[in-house]
Amino acid sequence: MRDVASNEHSRKSYMPRDTSLKSVLVLGSGPIIIGQAAEFDYAGSQACQALREEGLQVILVNSNPATIMTDADMADRTYIEPLNVEFAARVIEKERPDGLLATLGGQTGLNLATQLAEAGILEKYGVRLLGTPLEAIRKAEDREEFRNLMKQIGEPVPESWIVTDESQLSDPANAGIWPLIVRPAYTLGGTGGGIAYNRDELYEIAHRGLALSMRRQVMIERYLKGWKEIEYEVMRDANDTAITVCNMENFDPMGVHTGDSIVTAPSQTLTDREYQMLRSASLKIIRSLGIEGGCNVQLSLDPKSFRYYIIEVNPRVSRSSALASKATGYPIARVAAKIAIGMRLDEIENAVTRKTLACFEPALDYCVVKIPRWPFDKFVGADRRITTQMKATGEVMAIDRTFEGALMKAIRSLENGIIGLSNKTAHLLSDIEIEEALRVPADERLWAITEAFRRGMAVEEVHALSDIDPWFLNKLRHLVDIEMRLRSNGTALVRLASDEKSEDLAASHPLAVKLLREAKLAGFPDVTLGSISGVPELKLRSLRNRLGIVPVYKQVDTCSAEFEAATPYFYSCYDLEDER
Amino acid sequence: MSNKKVAVIGSGPIRIGQGIEFDYCSVHCVRAIRAMGNEAIIINNNPETVSTDFDISDRLYFEPLALEDVLNVLDREKPDGVVVQFGGQTAINLARSLHDAGWPILGSSPDSIDLAEDRDRFERVLAELDIPKPAGRAVTSAQAAVVVADEIGYPVLVRPSYVLGGRAMEIIYDRVELENYMAYVVDASPDAPILVDKYILGKEAEVDVISDGVDCLLPGIMEHIERAGIHSGDSMAVYPPQTLSTKVIDQIVDTAIRIARRLEVRGLMNIQFVIDRATDTAMVLEVNPRGSRTVPYLSKITGIPMVQVATRVMMGTTLKEQGYSTGLHPSAGIIAVKAPVFSFQKLALVDIGLGPEMKSTGEIMGVDVEYPLALYKALVASGIGVPKGGSLLITIADADKVECVPIVREFASLGFRIYATAGTAAFLHGQGIAAQTVKKLHEGDGNIVDLIKNQQVDLLINTLSSDKRIEREGARIRRASVEAGVPCLTSLDTARALLVALISRKTTSEFALHGVSEYRS
Repeated sequence: MRDVASNEHSRKSYMPRDTSLKSVLVLGSGPIIIGQAAEFDYAGSQACQALREEGLQVILVNSNPATIMTDADMADRTYIEPLNVEFAARVIEKERPDGLLATLGGQTGLNLATQLAEAGILEKYGVRLLGTPLEAIRKAEDREEFRNLMKQIGEPVPESWIVTDESQLSDPANAGIWPLIVRPAYTLGGTGGGIAYNRDELYEIAHRGLALSMRRQVMIERYLKGWKEIEYEVMRDANDTAITVCNMENFDPMGVHTGDSIVTAPSQTLTDREYQMLRSASLKIIRSLGIEGGCNVQLSLDPKSFRYYIIEVNPRVSRSSALASKATGYPIARVAAKIAIGMRLDEIENAVTRKTLACFEPALDYCVVKIPRWPFDKFVGADRRITTQMKATGEVMAIDRTFEGALMKAIRSLENGIIGLSNKTAHLLSDIEIEEALRVPADERLWAITEAFRRGMAVEEVHALSDIDPWFLNKLRHLVDIEMRLRSNGTALVRLASDEKSEDLAASHPLAVKLLREAKLAGFPDVTLGSISGVPELKLRSLRNRLGIVPVYKQVDTCSAEFEAATPYFYSCYDLEDER
Repeated sequence: MSNKKVAVIGSGPIRIGQGIEFDYCSVHCVRAIRAMGNEAIIINNNPETVSTDFDISDRLYFEPLALEDVLNVLDREKPDGVVVQFGGQTAINLARSLHDAGWPILGSSPDSIDLAEDRDRFERVLAELDIPKPAGRAVTSAQAAVVVADEIGYPVLVRPSYVLGGRAMEIIYDRVELENYMAYVVDASPDAPILVDKYILGKEAEVDVISDGVDCLLPGIMEHIERAGIHSGDSMAVYPPQTLSTKVIDQIVDTAIRIARRLEVRGLMNIQFVIDRATDTAMVLEVNPRGSRTVPYLSKITGIPMVQVATRVMMGTTLKEQGYSTGLHPSAGIIAVKAPVFSFQKLALVDIGLGPEMKSTGEIMGVDVEYPLALYKALVASGIGVPKGGSLLITIADADKVECVPIVREFASLGFRIYATAGTAAFLHGQGIAAQTVKKLHEGDGNIVDLIKNQQVDLLINTLSSDKRIEREGARIRRASVEAGVPCLTSLDTARALLVALISRKTTSEFALHGVSEYRS
């Protein structure tokens, strides 16, 4: 899967290739809001460090001081100022930076850079926009230009209409393709979007979307109900070298914002042919746009054929790229910053291995699961359905050898009062309500699925209602199966836990020990095992220690242990070999 | 302490009440540990953050912050100590269990933490030190709540103990409401007692303290701009205090030092005060025995790297050895205003009215050398915006009518057209303020919500009424402002702050423009 071979001989000394650059203005992303969380502090901090490593002077503007990027040692000068044209222009006037790096400050940074360019400020003070050119940003963000480009390069896009005025709604309304998805242009997290099942809903959602779009522009397109949503994180340098960092698959099919979707990395249900097809499309797109840095490509795949559509492209570092970075160990923001000052992928060192180069595509020998963290514990009266408008404030990530293990870890990382396969309400729902909860995505759909399996629903039925891929559903059913066996063997576990005498517990309680081992491998926490069997959590812990059922730790090193890692990180799993 | 191995517990996912500031704290703690020649391990599960970047710690564990998973990592790493002060409530909640499992907790002991968090024990400490607090008690039943409320008088502030971000906290005006609340809350947290306190009308202020058990350093005091009743995370706040008397400031400093010593705090602690307007006395509202939301702000304003200083204290270097002494650090020539940022556009059906329950997702800061200019920057950066003119729509609770008169008058003199519903408009006329009447929600087309939807309003001031029927209408009006992108203020204090900023914009020529560290030099 490697596009570019390592080429040690072509490595240059670590001076920026663009030597006319002396100082760079970096724009932060401002406050934490839904759709723009800590990922831009992570990206901004990496970028500042990456630029200073190359001997550049860094000037930073951000209105949010609760960030690492605004620390004194991150930039040569740090301004805590509002992120708007007026105040940014004053900083530019005073500091006279040579370059502006805007693709690491989220949509806020990108919008501000666009506005500064449009207001003539960049030109007036001779500031060059670094990295991805504005033209490319516009081509990626303006729906119509993006569609035209996709048509030119032969990449399919769903039927859609650009609407800037309510009078233009008659075309999509009369096209006879329902449901339709409405997305406002130039907004965060799809603010003001939604799915319209009829003419009235279309007018209502479009009206709201137009009001909230910075350019009074909404895109209306065919809703690809039941199709898979897949993302690729791709990087490209000015030399046209391009790689994919990783791909990710949404557990929730099309219709749920990727920020509100459970996501796995890498994809779990694609065939090799599908994987390669979407990867090639993503690389073709980043090249055709002329992006210099990182970009995120969202695609939709028909589970029943090899048809796919390009949904959208984020021409910047994003929440998804933060996840991809942590999932693979590949520092996307750092590399994007180096590319922005003219360096090439085959000159940038992989900081985790310190042996490989940034043109190596990471390899993953584990499964990563992300679950969004929603604020509905605070906003009890809120609409808890999840759609195209993001509602999560944050997210958790877990790593394990199996999907089941990673999912179970991610659940208890949420700290929302749910630690396993049951929430507080699903068991109280009627069968009809369960079916509704499977059909309509909401924050706690996962636990409606586990409850459905407890009630004996088949994978096919749950799939028919939810459109979630049967592969994921089978994994969840596997977890519920283990839970049910634990329930029916609760007393055996109690007997095992209270056996203080046996020399060889595994021989005296073979079934219970085997079941315990199986449950731990699948990610069941001691708390859950305790509440099922009645054995206290810490007693289970000491029992496991006696049995030697303890986790080992594996490394995330970007290369599946092919090279030795200098700064790895670790995840636990109930496997055999420990990687120190 | 050097050549030791220390594990730092992170703060997990970003949520309302526990945001990026705790990641900032975790990262600084790790840096301080490493700078002293020790090995730092971090455990966290948030992929968005700096703390989970590969080169921040010596070793990073991407794991849940549940007891089992944390113990597993500790069993493997066998650290010399564990830090729980910087990962928000997530980490502090693990203190007792980790201690019981035999792991040394660095900094304040689990008992010290419990003394601060257990309301009953904490009240006994305050009584013993003769430190004033709003009258009230912890109760475990609805009947007991009613008894306490009758005794201290309404309105009362009620909340469960051990909460994050003021969850389920409310101001209650009568017995029926209180009984409803008790039915709802006891269901929400059956084991925890409920606190019933007298609601004190006055300003709030908060202070962070770094203590080594002997010396207590107070880097700065932040004064809230909105009066008590709005969660501290949703209030605007200013450093240094602009309206507090010397008497109150001295009292805050003295109280903080005595509490820190009595609780034997090692590291950071945050104390929230309400200043009783009637007696000009600072009363203690609550103590958080850990790094707080204001730590990164005060660190940047004052130049004191608070988390690093606190971490060194926890590792055994005293404040004196670090060159600090007891008391309030002198204020720098910088004025900083912190303002909350909300994400209401993303959350349908959520009421945007502010109260004791936190609703903001993030914060920003405006800095300058003058208060009005810092305020202006904060309002702009927060996204409220500062409408320079146009139409102001006001819907004011009866209780706030008198107070709003000078505010509305000032907006009118700045050239704002004033809109109000019939009752308020008539009242304003009586005060000599011209106001155009708008139809109420149920009065048909062209009503108050239509006006907002059609963007004929540039600013909405809507204060919350204690009348539930009026409130239902108020909630719809506020929601409409969110959908239409019209700034909506629900506190007269915020409105007053906006006026200050607006006037400064008209009269002052120049904002200061310095790098944040240059303000101090």
